[in-house]
Amino acid sequence: MRAPDTTVKAAAPVIAFDKITLAFGAKTIISDLSLEIGRGEIVCVIGPSGCGKTTALRVAGGLIPPTKGTVRLLGEPMAGPRRDVAIVFQDYAKALLPWRTAAGNISLALEAAGVAQSERGDRIRDLLTKVGLAGHEDKYPTEMSGGMQQRIQIARCLAQDPAVLLMDEPFGALDAMTRQGLQDEMLAIVAETGATVFFVTHDLEEAVYLGDRVIGLLPHPGRIGIDQRIDLPRPRNQLETRETLEFLRLRRTLFDFIEKAEH
Amino acid sequence: MKRAWWKGLVVPAALIVLAELAMRVQGSTSMSLAAPSDIVAAFFAILFDGSLLLATRDTLVSAGIGLAAGGFIGLALGILFGLVKPLDRLMEVTIEAIRPIPSVAILPIAMLVFGFGYRMEIAIVAFSCLWPVMIMTRSAMAGIEPRLLEVSRALRLSTWDRVHKIVLPAALPRIMVAFRLAASIALVVAVTVEIAANPLGLGYGILVAQQALQPAVMLAYLVWIGIVGYLLNAALSLMQQRLFGRAGRVEAAS
Amino acid sequence: MRLSRLGWLLASFAVAALLVWGWQLIADYKLVSPVFLPGPDRAWGALVKGFSTGDLGVKLLATVERMFWGWLIASLIGIALGAAIGTSPRLRAYLAPMLEFLRPLPASAMIPVAIAVLGLSNGMVLAVIAFGALWPVLLATIHGFSAVEPRLYEVGRALGLSRASVIWKIALPSASPDILAGMRLGLTVALILSVVCEMIAGRDGLGNWILLAARSFRAPDLYAGVILLGVLGYVTAVALAALEARLLVWRSRAR
Repeated sequence: MRAPDTTVKAAAPVIAFDKITLAFGAKTIISDLSLEIGRGEIVCVIGPSGCGKTTALRVAGGLIPPTKGTVRLLGEPMAGPRRDVAIVFQDYAKALLPWRTAAGNISLALEAAGVAQSERGDRIRDLLTKVGLAGHEDKYPTEMSGGMQQRIQIARCLAQDPAVLLMDEPFGALDAMTRQGLQDEMLAIVAETGATVFFVTHDLEEAVYLGDRVIGLLPHPGRIGIDQRIDLPRPRNQLETRETLEFLRLRRTLFDFIEKAEH
Repeated sequence: MKRAWWKGLVVPAALIVLAELAMRVQGSTSMSLAAPSDIVAAFFAILFDGSLLLATRDTLVSAGIGLAAGGFIGLALGILFGLVKPLDRLMEVTIEAIRPIPSVAILPIAMLVFGFGYRMEIAIVAFSCLWPVMIMTRSAMAGIEPRLLEVSRALRLSTWDRVHKIVLPAALPRIMVAFRLAASIALVVAVTVEIAANPLGLGYGILVAQQALQPAVMLAYLVWIGIVGYLLNAALSLMQQRLFGRAGRVEAAS
Repeated sequence: MRLSRLGWLLASFAVAALLVWGWQLIADYKLVSPVFLPGPDRAWGALVKGFSTGDLGVKLLATVERMFWGWLIASLIGIALGAAIGTSPRLRAYLAPMLEFLRPLPASAMIPVAIAVLGLSNGMVLAVIAFGALWPVLLATIHGFSAVEPRLYEVGRALGLSRASVIWKIALPSASPDILAGMRLGLTVALILSVVCEMIAGRDGLGNWILLAARSFRAPDLYAGVILLGVLGYVTAVALAALEARLLVWRSRAR
């Protein structure tokens, strides 16, 4: 849908962390972090607890200003949250409005963007179909399973028409079967929209399965420890991809990294 | 939070200073209001001539006995209805018919039956305290973790053992919350009855001061009633915390 | 399940009827002096007579109006103030301790002060009712607004909602269960204070009516008035519960 941006060169990064340092008082959470993410790239971020991966995502979303350094989005410095950067939170139950139905929750994003009321109905129906929830528009979040609630949140983010999706362990609280289903749906949606994805997870296999690149962070303070390309062919398949030798090799590499990072 | 305790005093202090200034500038001959300094003077005057303490005793005695009587009946009924479900269901309409009667509406009935004095005030306080205690006791017994009851069944406890070893201890924190609520209701109702009709206690004191056009005394009573209410509340929540620790606090918040 | 619920309700009505019958017997056999306790037949008679030939309807209306306006004023002020204090941690730090101190103060203790300042007027009565009913609404609203899930504010920021939208679409609905609970309590307080004010200030209404009935030993009239006040308390509670159920559908639909 988005027209190619001629002012930015094809190779120019969509998100650029330029020497980001973040400290709360005397405690340094992230130290001197530089990172560039290209258009349409899916970058997964892993690391032991305390490495600042969620904090890095919040900085990228403009929710927290960095203490030092700048984050650039399509070349512009970030001054705060932007509508073309959507955030999928892990705790879907807290991130949805319990008093609004599935349709109402998605509508919130359209209302924020100033979409006319007459257009909202069709958009909402399309989005619900896209995340596999057609026919559930009148249900309240509390009437739905965790997987369905997370789908609503994803649909609300897609309603922002985002250039960037920031996902903070979005499937961490779901059971294994639901998680795999959502992983594939997410890959399909991203392939269709061409959005750039910054995906935080603690599940190494998930990182390898989803990513074009996996960034491993080291803790205390958070900094990059490994930047691993993932060249597994797409479209990926839950059974075949996970059985390839390359997948197992990459999983081993990251496993060794995490084990070292924790000690 | 600890370092900011003084912030709570800023606004009241400013209001007091402002009131003092306003009354001084205007000249304190008002029939309806008084300067804070005059109120303090009046407070000590009624404190030392004994009338304040006497009135406080009358109010607290009425509220206390009323609370004890109403609380006891409410507790007994609540336990009974909580244990015997059929009885609870049979009494539903009767209770729902009597409970919404505003407590002060039975004031004239109490007046008719008992005349003025302690007994009438105690009866109204008891009537007001009965309902919250009964209803909260009943729901406390209904809200006991079902797993606990399964445990008691698995252990083959007798009905009596089940009630006094499992049901009552499990319901106790919430029953305590009910009594705390009832205690604050008791004070409010006692003062209200005194202002509306009964010639004794703090409520009567404040009314007489108003009618005698002594605004400083009237406001001294008002401040004192506020302090008594605050202390009562603080003492009860301290007691609740001591007895039940965090569990009691969590229940109180919900 | 449905049927047995209905069965219990009918049985429960039967018990209530039985108790009324017992009350009738006590009155008929004069087990309690009829000066204190007229039978239900005489109380009912007084109620019917009060409505058909007397001005009981007018008194009822006066009380209802007083209660309603006082409650409405209290609710509007309480919600506005509570929203301001609840959304601002700074205001809370300065005002919360004072509010905690004022909360246990019986609202009726303000009646003499209000009389001193405003005289025995309708304005005084309204001020007292509004003052008393303000506290539950105010404190519940403060609590509701300060307990909004912080994640939802982040969602609002991420979506680029305006400040007004955040308050209107996120904070207010989130606080609404607390606000409605506070308003329900406020209405009860408003009814009680309406009755008390009518008694003390001699304003026309049910409170004054039952007090005069008691003073002149017209027990049937007294009981008729008390019954009417009970009905009033019941009807207002049911009406607010229905409003709550309507506004908070999302709460009852939880799995």
